[in-house]
Order: sequence, then C-alpha cells, then structure tokens
Amino acid sequence: MSYEFRWSVLWSGQSGAWLLQGLLTTLAISALAWVLAAALGILSGALRTVPWRPLRAAAAFYVEFFRNVPLLVWMFFWYFGVPPLLPAAFRGWLFDHGAEFWAGMFALGVYHGARMSEVIRSGIQSIPRTQFEAAYAMGLTTAQVYRLVIVPIALRLIVPPATNESLNLLKNSSVALTISVAELTFQTRQIETYTAKAIEALTAGTVIYLALCLLIAGVMGRVERRFAIPGLIVRGGA
Amino acid sequence: MKRLLTAALALALAGWAAPAPAAESTLAKIARTGTLTIGTRRGSPPFGYVNQKNEWVGFSIDLVEQAIKPAVERKLGKPVKVEKKESTPATRIPLLTSNAVDLIAGTMTDTRPRRESVDFSLTFFVTGAQFLVKKGSPIRGIGDIAGKRVAAQQGSTNARIIRARVPGAQLREFPDQPSAFQALAQGQVDAYTNDGIQLAGLVAKAPRPGDWAIVGDFYSYEPYGMALRKNDSDFRHLVNVGLMEAIESGKYLQLYEKWFGPKGEVPYPLTPENKRFLTMQVVPK
Repeated sequence: MSYEFRWSVLWSGQSGAWLLQGLLTTLAISALAWVLAAALGILSGALRTVPWRPLRAAAAFYVEFFRNVPLLVWMFFWYFGVPPLLPAAFRGWLFDHGAEFWAGMFALGVYHGARMSEVIRSGIQSIPRTQFEAAYAMGLTTAQVYRLVIVPIALRLIVPPATNESLNLLKNSSVALTISVAELTFQTRQIETYTAKAIEALTAGTVIYLALCLLIAGVMGRVERRFAIPGLIVRGGA
Repeated sequence: MKRLLTAALALALAGWAAPAPAAESTLAKIARTGTLTIGTRRGSPPFGYVNQKNEWVGFSIDLVEQAIKPAVERKLGKPVKVEKKESTPATRIPLLTSNAVDLIAGTMTDTRPRRESVDFSLTFFVTGAQFLVKKGSPIRGIGDIAGKRVAAQQGSTNARIIRARVPGAQLREFPDQPSAFQALAQGQVDAYTNDGIQLAGLVAKAPRPGDWAIVGDFYSYEPYGMALRKNDSDFRHLVNVGLMEAIESGKYLQLYEKWFGPKGEVPYPLTPENKRFLTMQVVPK
C-alpha cells in the first residue's frame, strides 16, 4: 500500500484556477499589509527614539502589545472583535465586501508593523550620535531631523532584517485562512479535499511560497546593494 | 536513526499490507473471546461521547448494547460482553480490517467508496445537510442562498455541493465549527451549513437555543450505518437482525426518544419520512 502520486491533479480540473486565485489573494493581502506595516513600523520605530517621553511610551506600548499576542488571536480580534464597534450600515456593507480580507489585512499589517518597528529602531540607534548633532546644528527641527536625515539613513541600513520581516509577513498571511480568507494555503487544502491528493497539493503550495520568497529576497538583495551607504557598513566580501 | 525509522516504517507498511490472518469468522471470534469489540466515538454527542459523569455512552452504543448484543447472545447461546474502543474517521477502517474491533458503531456515513473496503449494516440514522440561521431569517433552504453569505466547514462535502449547485452564494469556509458559529452569531454570515444533526448539537449547546432555527430540506444525504468486515455475511445478518428487531419492537424509538427526544441530549425530532424509511428496511420474519 504505497502512496500513489498523481501530479496531474494540479493542472486538471479547477486546480490551476484555484491556485492562481489563492496566489492573487495572498499577494494582495500581503502587499497591502506590508504597506501598512512599513508605515506603522517607520512611525513607531522613529517615535521610540525621540527626545519626548510620552511619545516613546506610546510607541513602546504599541510594539509590546501587538507583537506579544499571537497573530491568530489578532485575526479573530479584527474579524470578530472590531465589526460590532462599527456603525451598523457600514458593517453590513463591509460583510458583503470582503470583511474577512480587510480584517486579515489589518491583523497582518498591525502585527508586523510592531515587529518592523523594532527593526527600524535598531537602524536608527545604530546611527552615530554625531549625525543627530550635525542635523540639529543645521537648524533643523526634531521633525525635520527625522524626516530628512535620520529615517532615510536608517531605512538604507535595515534592508536585510526588513527583508526577513517581509518574508515572514508573506508566509504569515496563511493564518488568514482561519477567518475564511481563501488564500494560497486555503486553496491547496481545497485541492486536497476534491482530489484526496494531499502531498501533491501541499507540494504545489510549498513551491509557490518558495518561489515568491526567493523572488522577494532577490529583489531586496538588489535594493540593498543599490542603496548601501558607502563607508557606513562594512560589506562582506567587498 | 534514519535506518531505524525506515525499518519501523517498512514494518508498519508490511503489517498494513499483510492479508488478515486466515479467516476466523467474526462470530467464531466473539464465541472464543466472549467479547464483542466495537469502535465508537468519545466526542460525538449524542452518538458516542463521554458524559459529565465520565461514562462512555451514546445512541450508537445503546443500539449495540440493547439491540445487537442480545441478538448475538441468542445466536451463540452464551452471554457476551461489549468492549468499547475509540475510533476516528481516520482510524476506523484500519481498526476493522486489522481485527482490532468487530463493529464500528459511531457516526459513519455509508458511502459507495467506503463499501469497497468494508460492509455496512442497514441504516440506523439519517441526516443530511441543512442550514442554521437566526430565528426570523428569510433563508428557508438551499433555494434562498444565492447572493447570501454562507459559512461552511473547510473541506466538507457540504461546501462542495453548495459551490456546484449555487455558484452565486458567497461561501465562507471556516476550519472549525465554533468560528463558523461565531460568524453567524455576529452577522458576518447569514447562514451556516452542516449536517442537520451537527447543527442540532450546536444549538443544544448554545447559550440561548431559542434564538436559532435549523431550516431547509436535506440537500445532501448522510445515512449512518454500522461498518463491519467485508465478506462476513453471517455476522452482518445478525447485526441487521438485531437492528430490525429493535425497530420492530419499538426499542429503537424508545432509544431515539432518550437521546433525540424533547428531553434528550440533542433534541432532533424523527421526521415521518425517516420513520417510514427505517421501518421499511425491516424485512419480513
């Protein structure tokens, strides 16, 4: 009784269409969540280093609260906990227009924003004090110092850990299947349900995730080389 | 380590593939051991579950104890005891074919593909997919769900049927029953579909059972049967005789009332159609 492989299940019937649909959903939810995570991460990461305590405390609260609760719980929170707080008319509209997608997007984005924040903060804190002093000496305000000098430098420093975080975000999007988002992992299960061919379906999902991640890692590698700040980072092998 | 694993795996596979040790009939085995071993469920109320007093009970178990066991005892002319083992959807067929249990009495739907591996008794319970809605919902059955948001369990046959028959329905598939029910309670979905008896179990456990309604005719057909080893018609006949006598004598209805009646664990009235179906399975004496 050995397992009989039947790879044709992946391209016969509706499997191909399902995988494509799942892939598009995964890409859409990940891309939107990534934008949200990057915005929240940059904002709170910067705020954690500013010379005003209430702002630092607020940013620290955001980071610790959101990164230390499991993503699965956040999925349920955004899907089940938030809608009752919305006005009834909007809620009804939302339920008809992909409430689960938006809930999953916020869960992913806010959770990864908190993690991204730490990456940004470590980038900012690796910048020598003298940079801040020089910027202030130019007559810039604190907001200008961050916007024009510190954050742009930090972003160029943190490409490798940010890539790491982005890949995690992409893979974590699979958790959204618990709130009925029909993303890639969901679709591989769907194929399994219809064909009883679990290994083939899982392999297809794995290969797609792997390809996506390698692609992102490759692009980010180029970004890293393109935007590296000469003299600030000792490049391995360079 | 790897070699050890391979060896273990090979051994397991060999055990799986090896033909059953030459034919001792199930009845001969029961006569020799004095035990009828059944595979049932620990967590499927009210068919087989462990109750609050920590007793392993249920409708399927009662049927074995009160309908099938007497028939076996009469045939063998000696008392027999019933031993229960846990069996899940994944393990029940291997348990049976490896002789670990003699009869599966749980919540197993009789299907044609399954009949290629095991034999089934006559049908002892009939259910089918229905919809759970909030009381007062305009949804009355599968005809009303086009354009509506409908929750289903991921990977269930129900989701499959809906997708094929009502492509316009907005299907939302959840991995487990509680989240689907929560989505219904909050209005993320308009209806939740599953086997009628599962929905009834859900409502029975809900904080305010009166808020919910189970609607619609069965749009799938799930006849539960007891599974036994293939090609053992003497034992199969005996199991069927036990069930037929219980249906004929009213014992079946009495047990049905105990578990599914208004005061039962999961109230689920026996429809006239199902009652007729059950009695018509009873062949003449």
